[in-house]
Amino acid sequence: MSALLEVREVSHRFGGLHVLKGVSFTVEAGSVTGLIGPNGAGKSTLFNIISGFLTPSVGRIVLLGEDATRLGIQHRSRMGLQRTFQTPQVFRDLTVRENLVAGCHRHGRTGVLEAFLGLPQVRREMRDAAIVADAAIERFDLGPYRDVPAGELPAGRQRMVELARAVVAEPKLLCLDEPSSGLSTAEVQILMQVLRRLNEEGMTILLVSHDMELMEITSKMHALCFGEIIASGSLDAMRASPRVREAYLGT
Amino acid sequence: MTALARSATAHLWTGMLMVAVLLVWVALPWFLSRSAIDILVFTGIYTIAGLGVSFLLGQCGIVSLAQSGFYGIGAYATAYGTTVLGLPIPVCIVLGMLVSAVIAAAVGVPVLRLSGHFLALATLALAIIAHVLFLELEWITGGTLGIGGIPRISLFGFTFATPFRFYYLVWPSAFALLLAYSLLLRSRTGIALRAMRDAPAAAAVAGIPIASLKVRIFVLSAAVGAFAGSLFAHYVSFISVDSFAIDRAIGFLLIAVLGGVRSIPGTIAGALFVTAAPNYLSRLGDIHPLLFALALIVAVIFLPGGFGGFMANLGAKLSSGGRRPSAPAGG
Ligand SMILES: Nc1ncnc2c1ncn2[C@@H]1O[C@H](COP(=O)(O)OP(=O)(O)OP(=O)(O)O)[C@@H](O)[C@H]1O
Ligand SMILES: [Mg+2]
Repeated sequence: MSALLEVREVSHRFGGLHVLKGVSFTVEAGSVTGLIGPNGAGKSTLFNIISGFLTPSVGRIVLLGEDATRLGIQHRSRMGLQRTFQTPQVFRDLTVRENLVAGCHRHGRTGVLEAFLGLPQVRREMRDAAIVADAAIERFDLGPYRDVPAGELPAGRQRMVELARAVVAEPKLLCLDEPSSGLSTAEVQILMQVLRRLNEEGMTILLVSHDMELMEITSKMHALCFGEIIASGSLDAMRASPRVREAYLGT
Repeated sequence: MTALARSATAHLWTGMLMVAVLLVWVALPWFLSRSAIDILVFTGIYTIAGLGVSFLLGQCGIVSLAQSGFYGIGAYATAYGTTVLGLPIPVCIVLGMLVSAVIAAAVGVPVLRLSGHFLALATLALAIIAHVLFLELEWITGGTLGIGGIPRISLFGFTFATPFRFYYLVWPSAFALLLAYSLLLRSRTGIALRAMRDAPAAAAVAGIPIASLKVRIFVLSAAVGAFAGSLFAHYVSFISVDSFAIDRAIGFLLIAVLGGVRSIPGTIAGALFVTAAPNYLSRLGDIHPLLFALALIVAVIFLPGGFGGFMANLGAKLSSGGRRPSAPAGG
């Protein structure tokens, strides 16, 4: 197995606040890697650094063997990185289907002028994207919402739309920030099934969550606490680790 | 009624409506006075320039007051090109569009990084700079004296010399551009624009190049504005700096807002209002600017989505039999 993502000695400060303190770990190709940690541990900050929303004060992000520390968000997207947000970010005025067509953006080539002139390849790309979108709507059980503006959906469904939108982009690495928060128990079960399937199909997943149940799908986990990795290993090893129990499980 | 039959009837109605609109459009100048046709010609020219502003604002959230500058560039390019350089008219029109596009690309990169009030102010500054340059670059623009004797456009020996004739040139152009903008909006690029308006962070993750798309739409808008300016120059055959001042920039923005920035056909209504209202109100004497301002305020208060938004709401109400379409149950 090779590393799809390497986080190397990453530190980050917000003013005087030292949020990440030399974090290093790797995400192996084909794995489901979990990242747990109490509130304010720096998980979302780390996600922002991995996806290009923040540049770390110190350290490097290596994506597919290439130093991506200073690459833009879109560049990393084209390299095969997708992420979701802790507060779901759907395109509210766009229908679910249009959300997914937007998710396919990186597969297309045509631009403003081609669309303005109504060239046939524009229609062809739209048709291709619509086929992918409709397949994802089936898969993520969003059929009844297909033509509804995504902003009108219940929170759990918005998460599904966001996940589906990331998946249609066909990422090599899918980073999910608290994907189960706000979901019902039944919806969490469906989410776990979906993620397992995606992983079986070859997608590498990095998962941030408080939810230990969701962590059952991970093959390796890291525990982040006050900006430092305090333990790494399997779910069982985590549950057994006294440091994790103290910091995270509160026992 | 099955869904299929319903959509077939809907298509039939739309088709019949289109034919009716077309017939009215063709017949209209025969029943109107010269001055009324003149207003409709200006409505067409302003629709074209306003389209660019409206799309920028509605789909990219970019307030542009710079359109009068690009409109002026189009007008001066064709005036200078035809009268001084003796170039063919189509070449001059394309030249004006290209010059506008290049300038828009150059200023767009720094200016479009701004947002909100700063962006509006920066584009206002561009309009002011353009106006000053039109005044100062006398050897091209003729300064306050302007340029006269701009030739009329002819096609296959037919010269678009009168308002009546020009009507049949400007409106097909306007319709073609309305169609082109509609196609753009419905394309994956249009969806990308709406996506970045809703959630820029997620749009970036989807790989949508936000900054460069904004610049491209700005460049397109500038080229379309220049085209409108060229038509204007050939229609009036005399131009001077007065036609490209700040009031023109504000007029174009008004067209966009009144027409409804999310509505492409609404631009026509916005342009009609901005062209016709001052003209007819001026017959009431000196208080006409006040009345125009009053009419504007009323329009903005009662039609927050502009004329286009109003029509879309009305259409939705009629087609759903007065009931609001609801989200599916079970969520
Ligand atoms: N933009 C910012 N400016 C200043 N401080 C910030 C900023 N973003 C996050 N922080 C702080 O950094 C710390 C880590 O935040 P982060 O959101 O990364 O934590 P987290 O592990 O994702 O927590 P949670 O479980 O609540 O999502 C917190 O103390 C937070 O207040
Ligand atoms: Mg977080």
